[in-house]
Amino acid sequence: MYELLTGPLLWASVLICLGGLIFRVIQYIRGLSWQLDRVAYTAYPTHGFKGAARSILFWLIPFGNHGWRAKPGFTILFFCFHVGLVAVPLFLEGHVVLLREGLGIGWWPSMSMAVADFLTLLMLTAAGLIAIRRIALPEVRIITTAYDFLLLIITTAPFITGYFAAHQAANYEFWLLAHIAAGEIMLVAIPFTKLYHVVGFFLSRAQLGMDFGIKRGGKKKNFAW
Amino acid sequence: MPEGTLCNKKPIQTKEELDALLADKSGKVYYEEMKSLDVDMDKLKSAFKNTLKSRTRTWLDMCAHCGLCADSCFLYNVNKRDPKQVPSYKIQTTLGELVRRAEKNKPVDNELMRYCMDTAWSKCTCCNRCGSYCPYGIDMGVMFSYLRGLLYAQGFVPWELKIGSGMHRIFRAQMDVTTEDWVETCEWMAEESEDEWPGLEIPVDKEGADVMYTCNAREPKHYPEDLAEAAILFHLTGENWTVPSTGWEQTSLSMFAGDWEACRMQVETVYDAIERLQPKRVIGTECGHAHRATVVEGPYWAGRKDGNPPAPYIHYVEWVHEVLTTGRLKLDPAKRIKVLTTYQDSCNYIRNHGMADKVREIMDYLVEPGYFIEMTPNREHNYCCGGGGGFNGVGKYRPQRNVALKCKRDQILATGAKLVISPCHNCWDAIRDLEEEYKIGIKWSFLKPLLIEMAIVPDHLKPAEE
Repeated sequence: MYELLTGPLLWASVLICLGGLIFRVIQYIRGLSWQLDRVAYTAYPTHGFKGAARSILFWLIPFGNHGWRAKPGFTILFFCFHVGLVAVPLFLEGHVVLLREGLGIGWWPSMSMAVADFLTLLMLTAAGLIAIRRIALPEVRIITTAYDFLLLIITTAPFITGYFAAHQAANYEFWLLAHIAAGEIMLVAIPFTKLYHVVGFFLSRAQLGMDFGIKRGGKKKNFAW
Repeated sequence: MPEGTLCNKKPIQTKEELDALLADKSGKVYYEEMKSLDVDMDKLKSAFKNTLKSRTRTWLDMCAHCGLCADSCFLYNVNKRDPKQVPSYKIQTTLGELVRRAEKNKPVDNELMRYCMDTAWSKCTCCNRCGSYCPYGIDMGVMFSYLRGLLYAQGFVPWELKIGSGMHRIFRAQMDVTTEDWVETCEWMAEESEDEWPGLEIPVDKEGADVMYTCNAREPKHYPEDLAEAAILFHLTGENWTVPSTGWEQTSLSMFAGDWEACRMQVETVYDAIERLQPKRVIGTECGHAHRATVVEGPYWAGRKDGNPPAPYIHYVEWVHEVLTTGRLKLDPAKRIKVLTTYQDSCNYIRNHGMADKVREIMDYLVEPGYFIEMTPNREHNYCCGGGGGFNGVGKYRPQRNVALKCKRDQILATGAKLVISPCHNCWDAIRDLEEEYKIGIKWSFLKPLLIEMAIVPDHLKPAEE
């Protein structure tokens, strides 16, 4: 079982994830239309690039724009959730070892176990609060669907199982297998669900940034995100 | 009855059709017929196939349902935080639902289409504020505008806007102002101003002028003094200017209606005038949506790949900024406004066309230091006046519009200002209506009358002493 999960299934899920995301990016860009979207995408490369970069950058910085500042509580949850979600799998000591031994990549940075634990717990707490927020706030409840909770389950499962694998020696094998399976499910889900915002966030933000940069006043004044 | 005699999928093509629609007071018959109007599913599906591409599809599919758009929407706030006013909910239950049904081959019924119409025209003013509060940059104003186009094509459009887009189709103006009416109004206004401003002219169809001026049909139709004021200010600044006999109408109710073909017809009339008269540049009047229609969106309707009109085309506030900062128009500092004054940022050229700084500099010239106060929020993040996107003009949604005005009312009340400077027709109308409705004791003004009041008139332009 372990060999299957860490061998062909791991490779398959990584390839499906990356291949699917590449397909998403190509499909998105091919589907842009200057006439339908009413943005002269290619006519003003400098304004377009600047608009796109600003639009992405201001949303990557906590409290970097009016939107984040208007909702400080959610902003904190959002960043705690996403920082853990991205940083822990990429830089966890145990994962970096796999990279080194499996692919011979020796230069990849890693984080200490304590940092990984802290970020994981922060991420899981944020996920819990995000789930409560979905039910508690009427303006979020009305747009929330079961699908939104499913995505929270898919994204938190690798962290919950991984945390147990790292800290509960008794059932180590079970938790480890569950963790690998959960991680692979998440990888496969990314391109096929709303999780494709892994790339979609950048594409969509870049698009609106180009819209503002090229058409909606960017040649006169930078938009105050 | 699938197609009504008044309410149907056909655009207005003749003056007779337009008159028949106008004769139906408040659209009584029109809305009655709408209740049994059929939905053409093939047409809807083919529209999605041809026009629903990656940007809009991603917006619809990727929405994380986080609800951050809720508070960004003034209509949500002003309607007591009704969850049904959350922008994401509004678009998902309308455009999102139409797309889902079309894809699953489920029928779209008349009732859903009327719900879509009510939502697209009375729960969104296409102010685009939500777009800057969504982490993904999902701009529901853009999507509602797209939805309006789909609804228009199916005949589900408010009566006034079917008339409005019909006006553009028949008269190339949002009102029944013919070329003769327009030219006569120009002559009349020039004559009226002659005594006070010797030598003032309103030159029609002058080729190669420095400036071609375009306006809003309501100016010649209802307040021609606005045209006279524009002429006085061009006269005062020694501008070599002209107006075209055709192609002078800058607005586009067809944009509010979602009648894209009429949008193209209208804007091409203006661009033809530019090509014909070859002015160095074009200046539009103090109107937000006119600027958006003819300068920002228009080039795309006309298929212009560079996204620009045929000549540089600026908004009136840009011209005012230029003549004030270069000293071509001098204002008497003693006449500066000395009552507490605020300024209404128009969505269409502040949020959506980058002029926030220039307007503030104009305010420095007009208002005595210490008497200018900003609304909160302001600039790119200001709220819609409450009447944008056609909301002001639709009788069916007047009660909802009046509720919407409360947002601007409260913003103005919080400033304590007694004067609101509003260089946008739509905002100006909304502020007038909110004063009528709620009587908060304010005055409101375009820039032109204020500038004329304060201008220092050079001796050679003054009338000869009797």
